[in-house]
Amino acid sequence: MRQKSQNAIAFNESFKKRTNRQHVLSFAACAHCGTCNDSCHYFLATGDPKMTPAAKMDKIRQVYKAQKDWLGRLMPTWVGAKEIETDEELLELQDIVFGSCTGCRRCTFNCPFGVDTAALVGLARSCLVDLGYAPEGIKVVMKDQWEIGNQMGISKEEYLDTLEWVQEELQEEFGNPDYKVPIDKKGADFVYVVNPREIKYDPRSLQAAFKIFYYAGLDWTMGSEGWDNTNFGLFSGKADLGGHMGNLAYNHAKKLEVKRMIISECGHGLRSTKWEAPNWGKANPLPFEISSLLELMVDLINIGKIVLDPSKNPYPVTYHDPCNLSRSCGITEEPRFCLNRACVDFREMIPNRGDSYCCTGGGGAMSMSEYTGRRLEVAKVKADQIRKTGAAIVATACHNCVDGLSDVIKNYNLRYDYRDSKTPSLLRVCNVCELVAEAMVIPAEIKKTAAKAPQNAIKGKKVLVIDDEPDIIVFIETLLTDAGFKVVTANDGMTGLEKAKTEHPDLITLDITMPGKSGIQFFRELRSSAETANIPVFIITGAIDFRQLMYQKAVQAPDGFMMKPINPEVLLMTVNKILEKSVRNKTVVN
Amino acid sequence: MDYIVWKDLGPLTRLVMNQLHYLGLLFMIVAYSYKIYQIFQYPSAKEGTPPRGDHQKAIRYSYMTLAMPWELDTQKHHMYRYVEFALFHIAMAVGIGFAFILPMAHEFMKNSFIIGFSKLFFVLGFLIGISRLARRVYSPAMRRISTLDDYFCLMLLTLWMFSGILAAPLKSELFLFAYYFFATFFLFYVPFSKISHYVYFFFIKYYVGKHFGHRGTFPKKGSMPTVKNV
Ligand code: SF4
Ligand code: SF4
Repeated sequence: MRQKSQNAIAFNESFKKRTNRQHVLSFAACAHCGTCNDSCHYFLATGDPKMTPAAKMDKIRQVYKAQKDWLGRLMPTWVGAKEIETDEELLELQDIVFGSCTGCRRCTFNCPFGVDTAALVGLARSCLVDLGYAPEGIKVVMKDQWEIGNQMGISKEEYLDTLEWVQEELQEEFGNPDYKVPIDKKGADFVYVVNPREIKYDPRSLQAAFKIFYYAGLDWTMGSEGWDNTNFGLFSGKADLGGHMGNLAYNHAKKLEVKRMIISECGHGLRSTKWEAPNWGKANPLPFEISSLLELMVDLINIGKIVLDPSKNPYPVTYHDPCNLSRSCGITEEPRFCLNRACVDFREMIPNRGDSYCCTGGGGAMSMSEYTGRRLEVAKVKADQIRKTGAAIVATACHNCVDGLSDVIKNYNLRYDYRDSKTPSLLRVCNVCELVAEAMVIPAEIKKTAAKAPQNAIKGKKVLVIDDEPDIIVFIETLLTDAGFKVVTANDGMTGLEKAKTEHPDLITLDITMPGKSGIQFFRELRSSAETANIPVFIITGAIDFRQLMYQKAVQAPDGFMMKPINPEVLLMTVNKILEKSVRNKTVVN
Repeated sequence: MDYIVWKDLGPLTRLVMNQLHYLGLLFMIVAYSYKIYQIFQYPSAKEGTPPRGDHQKAIRYSYMTLAMPWELDTQKHHMYRYVEFALFHIAMAVGIGFAFILPMAHEFMKNSFIIGFSKLFFVLGFLIGISRLARRVYSPAMRRISTLDDYFCLMLLTLWMFSGILAAPLKSELFLFAYYFFATFFLFYVPFSKISHYVYFFFIKYYVGKHFGHRGTFPKKGSMPTVKNV
């Protein structure tokens, strides 16, 4: 027998300790029948025999067999039993459980014996993470959740700042200068717990939800703490982190004495906060109920607190069932109820509900840039599914899925022909609440301005636009100049870096794929120099690998991102948001 | 050819049929009892959240999916394989029934309908066994997940079915001996092998049903929640 490495010994030991009854049954009950083979998008897209759920799980099952199976101990080769022996095997296992499985549970639903492959993946992940075997992005996010209390390392100031920005936007939209986003309102009916992506990068779903609450006249609040519904305890298999994140949210909700906690549209957020974390953190029973925003919207529509006009969403819409919602939370009909009332043409994706394929961004995959290539390769299954619907908009109820699907659409060039436009546009991905908010019939409806004029405080601010495509530079320059900003441009990273030092811009919009110095290199150098480190950066790109900057965070993360083709409304909204926040921060510092 | 005369059976056949076979059954019961005891030594995952669905209904559904191939997306698209799976397992049940009833009611088993019925399933079991074996050998995905134990069990079951085809008419002691030899061997071997999945099935399906039922995921396709007072 080979000498086992220290890590291998530690892995085998912790594996033995953490195995519970349900794991044992899943290990022992697999008959290697192969029924689940075709359920996994990794196998379907690649045809690689190593990618079937059973083949992947056998790499974990072999340890169980070596430790517990009678024949496995007597004749290991006979049943494929083997403990982990080397560090290389640990790396191989890391590649399987983090890079080849999103824990979507589609195979669990398709196993005639009920083998829960995803639970076994969770077990293996937890043992690996303890030994430091995990993708960098997972480690960074775990650290941020432990130390700062949210997955994007957002400070309390930045969080409150974003809420204030959203409040100002909505004051204008509602025509109500007194409108306030309630924070820490004691005794409110519910506290709204969100995904940090909504705060850091894309507040459109926040605005949509707040708009719904406002017009429905609800008594609610945001919490100044414990506001992150995401939980890398689930993706790392670490129950202690899972319990910690859950307890942050529960304890604050208890302090606020709310009756309910409403979770924004996030698949793993709802699963962790409602079902897993109360068990992990020994928080049962909770003195309040936990529901999804989707359930709340169903209630509001049912009792007439919000009225929808589907003609406001005239283009065909399909729905992607987030795995965690459909298979682990039983939320399948609520989004359909909302979409059928908010859109004229709702089309089912086949298969759907519990049978839906993963968006390929689940299980923390969006934070693991080392597996981006494989993720996009196996996304073919999802891309084919979406293409067949002929929809213009893919609605979903999860921020991970929004990012995952955006990458799929971009990579597989999924477009919709709007007839009035010359080139068919890439499909739009959005949360269900955004379509509901768009369809809301509002008394004395306030007309939305397509491009909001910049606030006085940011008027005349200087934006450095870096892109190697002259057309794009002209497009962004025109848009920003018309909106009252000063614009300087650079068409490669090198020139961009020089201009960042000489022009002292207030904001940089940055392309990623450029000849010479790539956007990623540029960004790292910019952030590493004291002179330029604090210039806000807004990434505008067609390349998917920029996500490593959001999650790996060797340097401070970018301040905003947007996928090309450029949506002018979103571009201006993000530029306004970043600049207004930076002006506010400077005022506070001064 | 005439039926076997029971009192004329050789001592070896009698030993396997009447003693070793039942001893094997006893061994299997003891072995499984111990295995189940071992499984229950592991802590069960804790669930303290309030339920969203109906546990009982979900547990029933969990067991029933075995007979509802349309509920499993992959089986729905491979109905041929499901029919194979169902017939193969029925053939195994017929084989076990045949082996245990025969020593107690040999005259009754000479009924031509029973012989024909058993033979039909032995033939089906044998053919499906060969087809499954071929699939395991030729499909790279199946080969990848197959252990020596998987091949061994399938080969032996297929041979057992073959011996059943020859033994079912109850006219040859040699074939009957072969049939009981395989049956007895299985009773001793099965608790060690992957065939044990049929025992674990009852436990895992309970837990899976309870888990997904708790969250309102099982039975599949959730129903609309009732309107709450906002
Ligand atoms: S996990 Fe289930 S479906 Fe997949 S090979 Fe094992 S028993 Fe068959
Ligand atoms: S959980 Fe999903 S990704 Fe993982 S093996 Fe199963 S089907 Fe594939």
